[in-house]
Amino acid sequence: MYNEVSVFVENKPGKLSRVAELLGNAGIDILALELADEGQYGVFKILTAEPERAKEVLSNANIAVALNKVAVIEIPDRPGGLVQLAKALENAGLNVSDAYGCIIERGKRAVFVVKGDNLEAIESAARNAGLTTLTSLE
Amino acid sequence: MSELDDKIGSRFEWMSREEIARWQAEALRRSIAQAAKSRWYSAEFKEWGIGPEDIRTAEDITKFPFTTKEDLRLSYPDGMVTVDREQLIRMHTSSGTTGTPTAIFHTREDIDCWAELMARCLAMAGATSKDVFQNMSGYGMFTGGLGLHYGAERLGMMVLPAGPGNTARQIKLIRDFHVTCIHATPSYAMHVAERMLQEGDDPKSLGLKRAFLGAEPYTEEMRFKLQDLYGFKAYNSYGLSEMNGPGVAFECQEQNGMHVWEDAYLVEIVNPETLEPVPEGEIGELVMTTLRRTAMPLIRYRTRDLTRIINEECPCGRKHRRLARMVGRSDDMLIVRGVNVFPSQIEEVIMRHKWIGGNYVIRLTKSGALDQMTVQVELAKGEFDGSVETLRNLRAELQRQLREQIGFTAQVEVLEPGSLPASEGKAKRVIDERQL
Repeated sequence: MYNEVSVFVENKPGKLSRVAELLGNAGIDILALELADEGQYGVFKILTAEPERAKEVLSNANIAVALNKVAVIEIPDRPGGLVQLAKALENAGLNVSDAYGCIIERGKRAVFVVKGDNLEAIESAARNAGLTTLTSLE
Repeated sequence: MSELDDKIGSRFEWMSREEIARWQAEALRRSIAQAAKSRWYSAEFKEWGIGPEDIRTAEDITKFPFTTKEDLRLSYPDGMVTVDREQLIRMHTSSGTTGTPTAIFHTREDIDCWAELMARCLAMAGATSKDVFQNMSGYGMFTGGLGLHYGAERLGMMVLPAGPGNTARQIKLIRDFHVTCIHATPSYAMHVAERMLQEGDDPKSLGLKRAFLGAEPYTEEMRFKLQDLYGFKAYNSYGLSEMNGPGVAFECQEQNGMHVWEDAYLVEIVNPETLEPVPEGEIGELVMTTLRRTAMPLIRYRTRDLTRIINEECPCGRKHRRLARMVGRSDDMLIVRGVNVFPSQIEEVIMRHKWIGGNYVIRLTKSGALDQMTVQVELAKGEFDGSVETLRNLRAELQRQLREQIGFTAQVEVLEPGSLPASEGKAKRVIDERQL
């Protein structure tokens, strides 16, 4: 399992750039980012190699931030690369509440970030299908 | 104890109801006679054909006309003063919360009496000469500074006249001089705590024993929150510059209503519309008559504060009746969609929620012909769990409770921590952008 960084933001111009700037200045690379939009506010979901340090940097800037467990599963970066994982989850009868992906190495490796009620079952289904679940993105 | 040694007026503090009634009748007669020496009241009493001889018991006060804030302005600067200039030693003006300030004058005897009443309040809350007291209230014209200062000195506490603001210095002073008691507005006490928490510091580590809170409306929930954060006991104070300032009514260690010093103030509760007395224990406008002030007695002064009298005996044994927490000022009342709303009602709901901080703003706008109320709150940094669902549920819960409280739907906006202006002194909670 892995930690995703959740950041509370008001839905106003300049909010993403502030978060991006704080992390950038601290030398923290954003691998992927998703916004859960609730209208007046939203929550950024950030995938980074250094979630604990990202939390510290943002919290010191008086930003509301939390770490949330997700499954990070490595898949091949090629057409159809996602099929194997999707099939494995389908066969295990597992529901995914939210997911997004990003490329780690173009043409070679990508990761898929999966959230659901039963992360352990999701991870073991992926491993049973011969995929690797990651605990580090360094 | 001789009268000279009685620096906090214990002979008044422990009076029985009968003694209070007897004292009030005499003191009221004196006060009316004194007031009649001023230009304002002499004209007023002549017009009504009444005077001190009409006072047999304290209930006879109802024969006299009310005094309003407007009367104070009309008689500005000194139309209600009863003594020569050389007998006056101090004047204060009101904080001007609701417009032009009004001036109140004091003789040496008045300042002395005020210090006694204030010292009695602090002692009632458990303070003694062993305590070290930091006064975070503004000095100058505002009565909260000098009023508490004189009372605390009278009691023999060591006083740090810190004044408001400069939070880092406040914290340092408390630590360095082992301060045990503070006086602050509730919003400023909250600001100091939030600042400490932000810096990873624990307000409990200050070792404060008690706080005297007043000068702005706040709720019971806010008191609990402050007591939790600091580990002190917070005592409510009531006062207004027209009645000297602080020292009018204060909580004893029961923390359940504020004993009003009935040797110094005659209390009535009236219906603000009809000006008739309300049935005992019901909410109405507080009306007060000074019984011990010589330079500028005020007769039946309409405070605009809404409260009720708690008439049950207090376990502490004092017979001076208690005022319940103020439910608002007639001036603070907002009319939204024809409904009367007090900011204190909104605050009460907000303080039930741990996931939002103590600051809030009520914003009023118009959408077409309809009033819209938006309540802006701040997410408490430490309570965020990263989940959108949690936030959605909490916000819906807050919205539902607000609806129950005020009878219509208010929008709730959740802002980032620290995005509402920190309030030092009287907090500006309402922004009315409605165009008539």
